[in-house]
Amino acid sequence: MSVHLKSQGVIELLGRCDPDDAEALQQHLLANPGATIEWSGCEHLHAAVVQVLLVGAPLVRGAPTNEFLTTHVAPILRRTAK
Amino acid sequence: MDELLTQFLIESRELVDQAVDDLLALEKAPSDRNRFDDAFQAFHTLKGGAGIVEFAAMQTALHCAESALAAARIEARPVSAPDIGNCLRCLDQVAEWLDMVESAGAIPADADAAEIVALFARDAPPLPGAATRAGDDEWVATLLSSNAGVASRARTALRYVPASDCFFRGEDPLGRIAALPGLLAVDLAPRTSWPTLDELDPFSCNLTIRALLAASPAEVGAVLGGESRYCEVKALSGGPHERDDESLARKADELLEAQLRLLESATDAHQHGRIASAGLVAANVLRHRGRSSEADAVATAAAVAIAESRLEPLIEAIRAAAHGTPPTGAIESEASAARAHDARQTIRVSAERIDALVRLTGELIVSNNAIGHAVKLAEHVASPLAVTLKNQHAVLNRLVAELQRAVVGMRVLPLSVAFRRFPRLVREISAELKKPATLVLDGADTEADKAIVETLVEPLVHLLRNALDHGVEDAAVRAAAGKPAVATINLRAFREGEHVIVEVADDGAGIDVEKIKQVAEDRNLAAADDLAVMSDEQALELVFLPGFSTAQAVTELSGRGVGMDAVRTAVGRLGGQVDVRSAMGKGTTVRVTLPFSVLVTQVMTVEAGGQLFGIPLDAIVETLRIEKDRIFPVGAAHAIVLRDRTIPLVRLADVLTRGGKSDDSGPIVIAQLDGGLGAVQVDRIGERMDVILKPLEGLLSGVPGLTGSTLLGDGSVLLVLDLGELVR
Repeated sequence: MSVHLKSQGVIELLGRCDPDDAEALQQHLLANPGATIEWSGCEHLHAAVVQVLLVGAPLVRGAPTNEFLTTHVAPILRRTAK
Repeated sequence: MDELLTQFLIESRELVDQAVDDLLALEKAPSDRNRFDDAFQAFHTLKGGAGIVEFAAMQTALHCAESALAAARIEARPVSAPDIGNCLRCLDQVAEWLDMVESAGAIPADADAAEIVALFARDAPPLPGAATRAGDDEWVATLLSSNAGVASRARTALRYVPASDCFFRGEDPLGRIAALPGLLAVDLAPRTSWPTLDELDPFSCNLTIRALLAASPAEVGAVLGGESRYCEVKALSGGPHERDDESLARKADELLEAQLRLLESATDAHQHGRIASAGLVAANVLRHRGRSSEADAVATAAAVAIAESRLEPLIEAIRAAAHGTPPTGAIESEASAARAHDARQTIRVSAERIDALVRLTGELIVSNNAIGHAVKLAEHVASPLAVTLKNQHAVLNRLVAELQRAVVGMRVLPLSVAFRRFPRLVREISAELKKPATLVLDGADTEADKAIVETLVEPLVHLLRNALDHGVEDAAVRAAAGKPAVATINLRAFREGEHVIVEVADDGAGIDVEKIKQVAEDRNLAAADDLAVMSDEQALELVFLPGFSTAQAVTELSGRGVGMDAVRTAVGRLGGQVDVRSAMGKGTTVRVTLPFSVLVTQVMTVEAGGQLFGIPLDAIVETLRIEKDRIFPVGAAHAIVLRDRTIPLVRLADVLTRGGKSDDSGPIVIAQLDGGLGAVQVDRIGERMDVILKPLEGLLSGVPGLTGSTLLGDGSVLLVLDLGELVR
């Protein structure tokens, strides 16, 4: 499981996040409205997880090492964040 | 101001200048693709910078300009004239904001981009036109315009709508996108609008992915594999021929890169075979691409590399060729290679640090002079150390002189820094006055001290305005005189010995000498008798008198109460001169002569009333002695007659020294002052020397007749005179 509640209001995405993590993330976001996503340690985000992030529109902080995520996904998430 | 903001200001200013250049060039040659790309890039980078420092208004304004340019690109048409005008206006606004940032040390909170936005909205082309080429590929157009910064490199646009059950098939649509070659931009949107988070089915894909890629459609298709059926792939710009050419160009670049890797991995510079073959391949590739001059450069570099058993020359030559622009023309690629080379060889140093170095060098020169003085003393007392000291001082002397030259060289800037804004200025003035004119720049690479280049801008602005406003005739007059409808203003700069000359020449009507005399008389600037005997040359000098203006109507442009006298004063402050030449019906030329460097001033020392003073050598015409009785009093002052000209005379001891005895038989220095000659009588004439002038401080700063001071070798202070003020 690469998605967990790190502390109150902070959900951490770690390593490779697969389709299964999408549902977990959805549940965390529903349980913690307004939570921030910490994704510095994230290496890969499956499209299913990204989709949850787009709908949940949480604030995202940190900079993952994966270039595709920082260059192409991060700006989109920042734009959609509520 | 923090480091980030400082850097932002420096870079933004450079980019604004560059963008203005590019836009002006585009205006002349609207289909110049390279200029367009450069301008586009400049706007984009500026916008990026504004984003980094969170300057929202600047970002918005630049975004509008960028979009206007992007629209032209998408519709494959040249940028329209109103758009160029608006982009220039936008850059003006940006420059204004940058000034505000600089003076306030922070982003201005009240900056508002509304005016710029309105400007672009007004001139936006009607939408149907935009849609004709894009047709049903509107998503391509949207994608290109929202990613304008990379649009120029994009060769393929991709729209990918994965099947909703793709996650179950183990498909990761984003993973596939991430694996695509040459990915430039990605955009994500819902296929059908998003549900709320609690209603979202996380296992059903509802994404539409759009991407721009630098790779060809074929390369993209290969990676998409089976997912291709969910994709729409569009080739961007140009027909198949151009693409062929592009892929050839890319292959050529790949080959060059391969040679570079080969050379860079070489551990031993004595592997002559490897060097020779890499050089040969690279040269052949370049020759094949029609870049023969670069090919020759590479071949030469290979020969040098083998001869010196060094890899660097060849690596550098290949790198310059590989990173140059593709072959739009050998000359252009050379220029860009040279630019890339320059960029690597240049570091930014703040002007303050250089000025500190200049000050230190000045101190060092003074200290060196003092040592010279000490050496002479040692020789007088026949000290055994005298010879050693003298030899060491000779070495020090040479080093200090070299240092001085190097420091002067560091403060040197090309005049193009000042000239850069003039094409724009002339364009605007000529539009305002409805007098079409082109500005021809010549010798913009001539160099001069930074202070000179910077101070020169304002006088030159004034001269250019004058040329257009007063020099160039109205269209009807020009037509009647058989002159071309478009006037030519020549701005020419060149080096002449220790001087830099800048000339502004127009092909207008020339100065009407009779009219000048008339105006001078009307305004009581000169007596009618004097005017009657004046030569044309002398009459032209009248335009430099304060309060002179021949313009019939005070115009918005030239009639601001600053005339040629202001130009002469500003240039004079730098130690320069202004002359005017004119030919009726043919035009007027104003010549500004300036010293190359303001660091070192040559002075002649003179003694008066027991004190030593310096007179700038530039001003001195001659020195002479005359009989006491040929000096005659004129009211409270004195004058002499020299070659039938009456010259006002001042006794230095009288005006500058307290109770000094004036020697009325001493030598006389004749000096060129604004508008005529002046004579100064001194007690003794000393030597010529190079000094570093320091501005006067404290009590002395208010004393008229002094321009500065310098320290002499024996530690005493030498005051340097401004004869113009003394004799006036």
